[in-house]
Amino acid sequence: MRLRINIKGKPYDIEISEEEGKIKIKVGGKEFSFGREEEEKTSIAKTSLPKRNFSKKEIKAPVTGVVSKIFVKEGEFVKSDQKVLILSAMKMENEIISENNGLVKEIRVKENQSVNIGDVLIVLK
Amino acid sequence: MEIKYFSQLKSTNQKAKELSSKEAKPWLVVVAEKQTAGYGKEKVPWFSPQGGLYFSIILPKSKIEDLQTLTILAAWISAKVIKDNFNLEPLIKLPNDVLLNEKPSTRASSLRGKKICGILTENIIGKEVKSSVIGIGLNTNIDKFPKELEDEATSLKIELGREVNNEKILKQIVEGIKQQLATISE
Repeated sequence: MRLRINIKGKPYDIEISEEEGKIKIKVGGKEFSFGREEEEKTSIAKTSLPKRNFSKKEIKAPVTGVVSKIFVKEGEFVKSDQKVLILSAMKMENEIISENNGLVKEIRVKENQSVNIGDVLIVLK
Repeated sequence: MEIKYFSQLKSTNQKAKELSSKEAKPWLVVVAEKQTAGYGKEKVPWFSPQGGLYFSIILPKSKIEDLQTLTILAAWISAKVIKDNFNLEPLIKLPNDVLLNEKPSTRASSLRGKKICGILTENIIGKEVKSSVIGIGLNTNIDKFPKELEDEATSLKIELGREVNNEKILKQIVEGIKQQLATISE
């Protein structure tokens, strides 16, 4: 496909073609190629970004208190934002939610157990 | 002050949590004339017939330590509003119940009285505090309590022999909480 465009009054002849899955654009004798290589780079970048979410996923006590209710079981799949337990502290009821999707690998606390701030409550994988 | 009035709710805290998850603005106050399933800590039922004052406030995002302090201060604010308006002598049972009618006890540590106000803060927490509501149940214009609660609870109407203005009390408590949170968050 050939086309001519004007930028600030100067005409440019542009030729666009597709060969072996790559798009070639010729402008003023210079050739630019876009295709598989760039796609591969893009896909690597896309998959490397969420890696952090798949590191060890621990749900920790944000405050010292007593676990008053546990809503999940080991082996259960939890979704991000799902309520996993209630931690009572100074008459505040703290609904603890998972920040990640994952399988409940281990529940390290029981109902009515006291926990300190920072204690690991649930491990996801 | 933005206030949403309901003639009846299961629980003002439950409604406030629901509204909070739908991006309701902080400091929205949810008021119900009566609650059909009002509750306190660990879902212990809170007697909530017509006449009482039941409300929950959606709090701005705050540090968990500040919320803890605020919950205790809310009892103090409620007690102060009762004292200033009605010349009664409320007591705070820590962390956050307000009692009336202290009976002198030989043991200094034991406070005896009838509950007039209860407070429950509920937070939703992930890596940080996502939402917080503070719920207050104040026994204002309640004529009488069921037999099983008669020795444990009282109301302003029972103590004063007259009705009180729920809206005025509501606004004073909400303003007090606003001021205190601003102070402790500084």
